[in-house]
Amino acid sequence: MGYVAVKGGTQAIEESIKRLKYERLQKGTVLDVHTIEDGMRGLIDQVMSESSLYDQSLAAIAIKQAEGNPEEAVFLLRAYRSTLPRKHVSRIISSEDMQVERRISASFKDIPGGQILGATTDYTHRLLDWELEKETEESIQDWLHAYHAENRLTEYDQKQMSELSNLPKVLDYLRSEGLLQSCENNDLNPEDVTRKSLEFPSKRSERLQILTRGQTGAVTSLAYAVIRGYGALHPTVGELRVGQLPVYLDHPLDIGQEEDSYYIGDFQATEVEMLMPVTVEKERGKKEMEFEIGYGLCFGQNETKAIAIGILDNCLENPNTDFPSQNEEFVLYHIDSVESTGFISHLKMPHYVTFQSKLDSIRKTKEKASVGAVGGGNE
Amino acid sequence: MKRKERTEILIQGSSTIAKDFAKEIEMRYTVTVIQQPENGLVLLKARETAKKSLFYLGEILVTECKVQIYDSIGIGIVKGHQEELAYCLAVIDAAYQADLLETRVWSHILEKEKENIQKNRQELQQSILRTKVSFETMDVQ
Repeated sequence: MGYVAVKGGTQAIEESIKRLKYERLQKGTVLDVHTIEDGMRGLIDQVMSESSLYDQSLAAIAIKQAEGNPEEAVFLLRAYRSTLPRKHVSRIISSEDMQVERRISASFKDIPGGQILGATTDYTHRLLDWELEKETEESIQDWLHAYHAENRLTEYDQKQMSELSNLPKVLDYLRSEGLLQSCENNDLNPEDVTRKSLEFPSKRSERLQILTRGQTGAVTSLAYAVIRGYGALHPTVGELRVGQLPVYLDHPLDIGQEEDSYYIGDFQATEVEMLMPVTVEKERGKKEMEFEIGYGLCFGQNETKAIAIGILDNCLENPNTDFPSQNEEFVLYHIDSVESTGFISHLKMPHYVTFQSKLDSIRKTKEKASVGAVGGGNE
Repeated sequence: MKRKERTEILIQGSSTIAKDFAKEIEMRYTVTVIQQPENGLVLLKARETAKKSLFYLGEILVTECKVQIYDSIGIGIVKGHQEELAYCLAVIDAAYQADLLETRVWSHILEKEKENIQKNRQELQQSILRTKVSFETMDVQ
């Protein structure tokens, strides 16, 4: 059997794309992108984080186009990102400058500045709220009015107000107690995995960049496997904070002058510092317990992902061939949304030639086997 | 007022301030647009706190514009797709670079807006601080 090159399908593809649009529109409802942007915060944050592109409006358009499918929305945003010029690199962003909206520790009850729950589903009952079916513009406005009235500042409040920027870090407290090794700032320029292919052993900056743009489910599953026993870690959340981080740029001709930098706006991020107790061998074989840190930072309020990044960060800092989760090639090559979903979904694209070739081989093997069996029978 | 503080107020505060300032300059001086407002990306460089090293967190969408007044070039850059604001910021930046007389009066308006921003921030903080946990020690039998 010879192979025949084929072409065609153009009209079918055009009709298929039309059909896709019909599926989105058939119920006659126009889904406003502002509605998506304002009401689907969780999905927007997930898509921005996995796309590695922060912009709520673009994420809302991508979600609308993808009919709410995150993997398709991420693909669209990554593709759009590649058409834009990269104009600047920001000044160094430090989480100490975060305008905190939520900040908790699972390790210490009394942390300086206190445990601030902010907006969280952690303590909700997970019962479906049927009232949402009846929610109206009017009921929303009434609720908002009451909420703002509750939070109007009095003079007493203004005097009592504690500052939510520059909250002390739990890690600094541990470092001052000597329970964590202190370290100096390392200003080595990071690698950029979007410009240079990954090589092993990887650098820390590459690992953190790949983890933060990783697919939420993949990163979470691998970190879960670590805790279940496919790893050698027992992590606790030292500190988790969600808040706004300001972005500043240097003037192109006046680099390094902080007061002359441009402020361009804030972005929301989740930061997690995981504490891992480890036994360290000191002088004369004496063993001591110390803490190591796993670090996670990602766009938006993506707390499970940030915790998982923190776990995997520490795993990859301590390679161990016994566990795939501590093998950097295994983790870093398989958590990217576009790479993994792209490869898996490409399997449904036409593979006629390769499949026919395999089919030929199997047919020939079968033919040989049956001829052999017949021949063998004659002998 | 230095650029850092100025841009913080213009972006966090009411957008009418930037529009009014830019309009004032446009009426009195020739503003040449070098680069029309256009979208681009800013790569975010962050410091992690475990080993205090640097890494790239991702990119943020920005709108950037460049204008010229006399020999001074002004840059306006802001997150998101905000063409008008980027243009106004560029005009204001050029006005400060050229040390135009008008900029000296602006400081007062900016200081006042800074107070408004502070008040709004305090109200936001107030609502967040209502979620601060107040622990009570439970009775031990």
